[in-house]
Order: sequence, then C-alpha cells, then structure tokens
Amino acid sequence: MVAADEIKEGDVLLELEDVHMTFGKVQALIGVNLKIRKGEIHSVIGPNGAGKTVMMNCINGLYQPQQGNIHFKNQRINHLKPYERADLGMARTFQKVEVFGGLTVLDNIRLGRHVHFRSGILSGAAYLGKTKREEIEHRTFIEEQIIDLLEIQHIRSKPVGMLPYGLQKRVELGRALALEPELLILDEPLAGLNLEEVEDMARFILDVNQEMHWRVTCLLVEHDMGVVMDLSDRVFVLNFGYMIMDGKPEDVQNNPEVIKAYLGEEDLYATRA
Amino acid sequence: MSTTWLPCSVYHQNYAQDHAWWQTNFIKGKMLVLFLVLFVGIPLYADSYWLSVCNSVGYTVLGALGVQLLIGFCGQVTLGHAAFLAVGAYTSTLMILEFPWPQFLLDWGLAYPISILVAALVSGVWCVIFGLPSAKVKGFYLILTTMAAQFITVDFLITQYISQIGGRGQAFSLPPGTIKFGPWVIDNDLKVYYLMIVLVTLSCVVMINLLRSRVGRAWVAIRDNDISAEVMGINVVKYKLLAFFVAGFIGGVAGAFWISNLAAISPEHFPWFWSLWLVGVILIGGVGSIHGTVFGSIFMVVVMEVLQLLIMYLMDMGFAWAEPLFMDFLFVKEAAFGLAICAFMIFEPNGLAYRWWQIKNYFNLWPFSY
Repeated sequence: MVAADEIKEGDVLLELEDVHMTFGKVQALIGVNLKIRKGEIHSVIGPNGAGKTVMMNCINGLYQPQQGNIHFKNQRINHLKPYERADLGMARTFQKVEVFGGLTVLDNIRLGRHVHFRSGILSGAAYLGKTKREEIEHRTFIEEQIIDLLEIQHIRSKPVGMLPYGLQKRVELGRALALEPELLILDEPLAGLNLEEVEDMARFILDVNQEMHWRVTCLLVEHDMGVVMDLSDRVFVLNFGYMIMDGKPEDVQNNPEVIKAYLGEEDLYATRA
Repeated sequence: MSTTWLPCSVYHQNYAQDHAWWQTNFIKGKMLVLFLVLFVGIPLYADSYWLSVCNSVGYTVLGALGVQLLIGFCGQVTLGHAAFLAVGAYTSTLMILEFPWPQFLLDWGLAYPISILVAALVSGVWCVIFGLPSAKVKGFYLILTTMAAQFITVDFLITQYISQIGGRGQAFSLPPGTIKFGPWVIDNDLKVYYLMIVLVTLSCVVMINLLRSRVGRAWVAIRDNDISAEVMGINVVKYKLLAFFVAGFIGGVAGAFWISNLAAISPEHFPWFWSLWLVGVILIGGVGSIHGTVFGSIFMVVVMEVLQLLIMYLMDMGFAWAEPLFMDFLFVKEAAFGLAICAFMIFEPNGLAYRWWQIKNYFNLWPFSY
C-alpha cells in the first residue's frame, strides 16, 4: 500500500478518512482513505463492482457512510445533503446520463446555475427588473463560458431527451460546469462514446482543469486506461471496497497487485489505439 | 436560436429579446387580437348563456392550473385538488359572512378581494400539509395520499363541521350585494366574466413567469430527474412543497372566485369526481403546458355543453329516448368524460397542445414542409 505522499495540508480539497459503507452484509467500502489536492485530476479505477460509484455517492451525499469522515474545504460534510454540498461547490456527472430530458440544452445548463440564481417565488412570478437582469447575466455566462467551450451552439434550444448519447453526456458536463464547481466528480464520462467523442471529452476535461479561470479539480472514475493514465495526476485503485494503492499513474501501471486485480496484464493495457 | 420559430430575416440581437414572451411582430399582433376578443369581443357579443359557459371554462382553467403545475411541471400526481378549491371557497364565504368587517372596508368593496387573498393563502397552506407525504412517497403512492386530502377535507371536515358554522344547514347562501369587488357588485354573468378573465390572465402570467425563472426550472428538474436535481443544488423537498403551495394558492383563488357565480355553496360542489375531472382536463389539453390547460378546459366544458344542446335538440325533434338522457345528464357527462379520456390517450396522448403545435409548425413552414 502506497500512501499519498508529499501533500501539504492546505492544498487538500477533499479528504476521505477511513470511510466504511455497507449495505446489509455487502461491504462496499472498507476503510477508504483519499486525499485530493486542489487543481489535480485524480482518477479512481477498479474492476466492476469495486465500489467506485458508491464512493462517489458517499462524496456527493447520496449515501451516508456508516463510519469515517469526509472533509471538503477543511469542513466536515458527513451530515450535509447533496444540495448543500452543491452549494459548497461540488458538482458531478453520472455514469448513466441523468439529464432533464424534457428541458432544452440551455435550460439544463441554466439549471446547473441554480445555486447562483437569487430570485425567489415572488420576484420570479413578476419577472421584472431583478429576475430579468439576473436571467440575462447568467445567460451571458452560459453562452460565453460553457456553450462556447463545449461546442454545443447548434443544439442550444433542442430538448436534451432527443439528442444522441454523446451529446447528452456533453450537456451533462456543461450542466455540472455551470455550477462553477471547485470539485467536479465525473463518473465514467467516456462510457459509451465513440473514439472522436472520447477525444473531445478528454480535451474538455483537460480544458476545465487547466484553463486559468476554471481550474476545476476533477475526480474521475473511468475504465478507459489509456485516457486515465494520460490525464491523471494521481490514480486511486479500488478493489472490492479496499484501497489497493494511490499514486502516480506510472507507479500504478507497474504495481503487481493492481495488475492482478484487473485479471492480467493484457486487460490493463487494452486501450483504444 | 430561439425556441420560438422566427421567420426569415428576423434575428435576435440580445438575450433580452430571446427571453421575451412575444418575440415577433406576428405573435404580438396575434396576442393583441386574442386580448381584444377576450376583453371586448366576448363581453359585447356573447349572450348570458355563453357568458356563463365562458365562466365555467375560466373556473376550470383556474382549478386545472394547479393540477397542471403539480402533475405537468413538478411530477407530483394529485387526485384531490377539488379539496383545495373547496378550502378556498369556504374560507372566502366564511370570511364574508362571519368576519366582523370594519364598515369602511365594506363600503370600499374590499371585503371580497381580501377574502380571495386569504382564501388563496389558507388553501396554499392546506395544500402544503397534504403535500408533505411527497417528501417520502413518489408517483403511484402519492395518488392515494392526495386522495386523502379530498376525503379528509371535503367529506369529513367541511361536511361534518364547517358546514354547521352559523347553523345555516348544509348550504351557505351569500346574500345579494355581499360579493362586491371595489365599486362593482358582482351580480350578473358579465361582471363574473370580467372577474374571471382578470384572474385567469393573472394566474397564467404568474405561472408562465415562474416557469421561465429559477423556481419553475427547479420544478421541471424534479419532474424529469429528482436525483440529479438534488445533486445540482436543488432542495427537492422545499421545492416540492413550494409547488404544492402555489397549486393550492391558485386552487384557493379558483374556489373563492367561484362563489361569485354560485351565490350558495355546499360540499356537493366539490365532489371527488371534480378532482378527477381536472386531471382529465390536463390530460386532454396536454400535460406540461399552460395553453394546454386552457385548451383542455375549453374542450371539456364546451363539449359537454354541446352534448347537452344536442340532446335537447333531439328531444325537440320528438325522439322519446332522448328524454331520460336529458334527465340523467350527469351520467351522460361522466360517460362522455370517460370516452374522451380513452380517445385522447389512444389517438393524441400529447393532448391538444401538441396538436396546436403541429398546426402552428405546419403554417410556419407553409407551403413547403421543409
């Protein structure tokens, strides 16, 4: 087991401390420790059923771990509901796209900015001055920062439910970005995409991670090893609830335990050409 | 790139134009004509009978808007909405009859307007109470908890207790002249019509505005996917209850409005069937659309009236079998309602609003359909 090295305390954005999560007799997470530093892309890999999504749900607040602490921005957030964690600056995308099918692309992204809107029910009902100004302000942000970045100008006013899967994934990313998160949890953003879409998505992830005004810390769950090894600053390997290791991509690639968990060398290196 | 269809050579240059209600001159003209017809045309040319039909349509719209909000926009199936109409109607009536109004408020004709507002608030709060189970239960199960609202409110509380207040017996009758809105005493169909059209317009404006701002988007998000709504920062329970409040509020307005037309109210005006009827209205009009609510209300009320006229016509023609149908028109109405729902579910499950959209689209592109 390789401990997370050379971490300065002030840099830690998210910290999982000895997190246990069980469903009846199934132990999904057993004493997981994880530190994510500001500005890095931290990947989580592991075989199917390893508990990766459970871990994301714990971080996100959809599940409450039975034991252990979760700290976000030096604040213990175990008791916070998902919407309160969103308020703190945590956004996520889902493995199976969970967009709002009946809303247009634009409204989906607007919805991502929910925590930044201020108008309540009365000012919304009147739709005068304040609400109107606010809507235009946020529209400008969405158009200039998100729609432009993700190259979805042509589908802005289409209902998301009618779009192909690859674009839905992109809209979901846009919606998460609209929250202007500090931590972006990406649960298999590349699953089910074709090669071109994978390349686009990888580029978007790098963009939001590295561009000065975004600088979003990403927590990436992914099966595509090529992409994981190329993008990640650190990789965390999970195997049926246990952490195998947490380290640099090259160390992970050479760790015999990791290779065993993935059932042999071929599987680990079976990446897209 | 607006959701509204723009003709050639019409472009938006700023976001305000794109967020506007009426985005082209054609639409502005169309809406102006609509308002002229509603506020001038119908009052001028419709006789008392058709005015009362219009008033029924307006009442149905007000009632169904709340159901549309809950089912169509927030995804919370409700089958007890008549209860909140009843709460509105009874609150307003009791306030007019029992509240010790200062004389100047009566003179200024503010008693009824204030009672409408209070009725709406009381009804909204009552609706929130019955919306509380929605924090835990979803979909099919919510139907049963909202039905409880109907039975507890109308069949139990109102029939057994509220109706006994003042010892008037079952029905509360409102003496002539008590329904006074400012300087106008609401005593004929025309005045009721004006009150109705103002309330319907206001409610629709509020609903449409809410739906294009933060609160409405949160509702639709909860309808489409409540888990990701919560993850995106929406307090799901709070917004569900807010939806129940607004639905109850508009329901309360509907009930309080309707007493101006009835002159006497009793629990029989708010049967469980009326809750079901309102759901039928939005199914036929189109779930998830405001104008669908209006189309559905017009369709349901006018079809029933036409059916009644048809039976009367057949009676006049000398068909003896039409007479029992006329006597039992209530049952004919229920059967027709059932048939209409079946027909719409099979042939036009998206409702009249979708048909309207198709027609508009056809003419937008006319004469070439591409």
